[in-house]
Amino acid sequence: MERYFEDVDLGDLIGPVERVATDAQVLDFCKVWGMAASNRFTSREVAQREGFPDAIVPGIMGMAFLAELVTRWSPSLELKKLDVIFRQLVPHNRLLKLHGVVTDKDEEMGLLEADVYLDLSDGDRMVTGKAVFSLPHREG
Amino acid sequence: MYYLDLHCHSVSSDDARATVEQYLKWVQMLRKRGYQVDGIVLTEHRKFDQGIDYSWLSRQYGTTVLKGSELDTRYGHFLVYGVNHHLLQRFNFADVGLDALALMQEAERTGAIAVPAHPGRYGIGLVEHLANGLDLSALRVVEHLNGGSRKGENERADALVQQAGLLGTGGSDAHFVSAIATCLTEFPSPIRSAEELVTALHQGTFRAVRLEETRAQVVK
Repeated sequence: MERYFEDVDLGDLIGPVERVATDAQVLDFCKVWGMAASNRFTSREVAQREGFPDAIVPGIMGMAFLAELVTRWSPSLELKKLDVIFRQLVPHNRLLKLHGVVTDKDEEMGLLEADVYLDLSDGDRMVTGKAVFSLPHREG
Repeated sequence: MYYLDLHCHSVSSDDARATVEQYLKWVQMLRKRGYQVDGIVLTEHRKFDQGIDYSWLSRQYGTTVLKGSELDTRYGHFLVYGVNHHLLQRFNFADVGLDALALMQEAERTGAIAVPAHPGRYGIGLVEHLANGLDLSALRVVEHLNGGSRKGENERADALVQQAGLLGTGGSDAHFVSAIATCLTEFPSPIRSAEELVTALHQGTFRAVRLEETRAQVVK
């Protein structure tokens, strides 16, 4: 659904979208990313040697999920900036809930801001971020 | 009733992403939705923004904006209200291992108050230290409801409040816009200054509430 700058208000919700970062998806992501096959993201043994409880989802993969959440909100949306704080380790193979809310509207600059969240399905917050984006205007 | 968020961080704190004006815009949006939020207290990490004046924003948005600090001690984080030049001279606010007892005593002596933040937080909260034998018998007030708590942490704070007969505040611990005012402190009358806030906290006629409870208050 195409959204326009003029129609968006503070408090408008983005998502939610559900995703699971499976072992296979993390492995594929790491291959594209250029990471060695066996690392804290793909191997439980390596992760535990480094002090993690299990293999974890790469931070930038979580960011990619959040970027996807925002850019799919509207086809012409342009994501300008995504700034996140990693609060907890994101586990493999768990249902993740991605959602956001519009928090600011800069009429002069034509920019919008949203808080975006990556939570476990039970509500435990893993990643919090701020997205800055633009939407087309209704008149030109 | 008067509702203040006693714990939040603006971009002045290194891990926060919201400006004070964005918080105040959000508060206006919450009011339009029927919630009552009367003000916020900025408690930046390890600092006190002495030179920053938010009074024009406060007037523009009709919302009380006060300043405090959140300091790191050996017994967890402490929210300090009524920060004054005595405290600024006596303590290095950037120190991550301040003496909590000295901070509480000095705050009390100089007309301020130091309140343990998120005492139920796993690993760093006051509850952990009390379990290890720390004596804080002089403690009267703790943060009861913290909007940034993970599962079980507010419950641990609640158990502490009930068992020790403490008074409890509420604050969102917001670092992002949409988290502001998720938890608040309810006072019986308006509070317009840090001095009035300290007085009210000493008087003890307040309680921690969640944002949803302010809406119920308005409807009544």
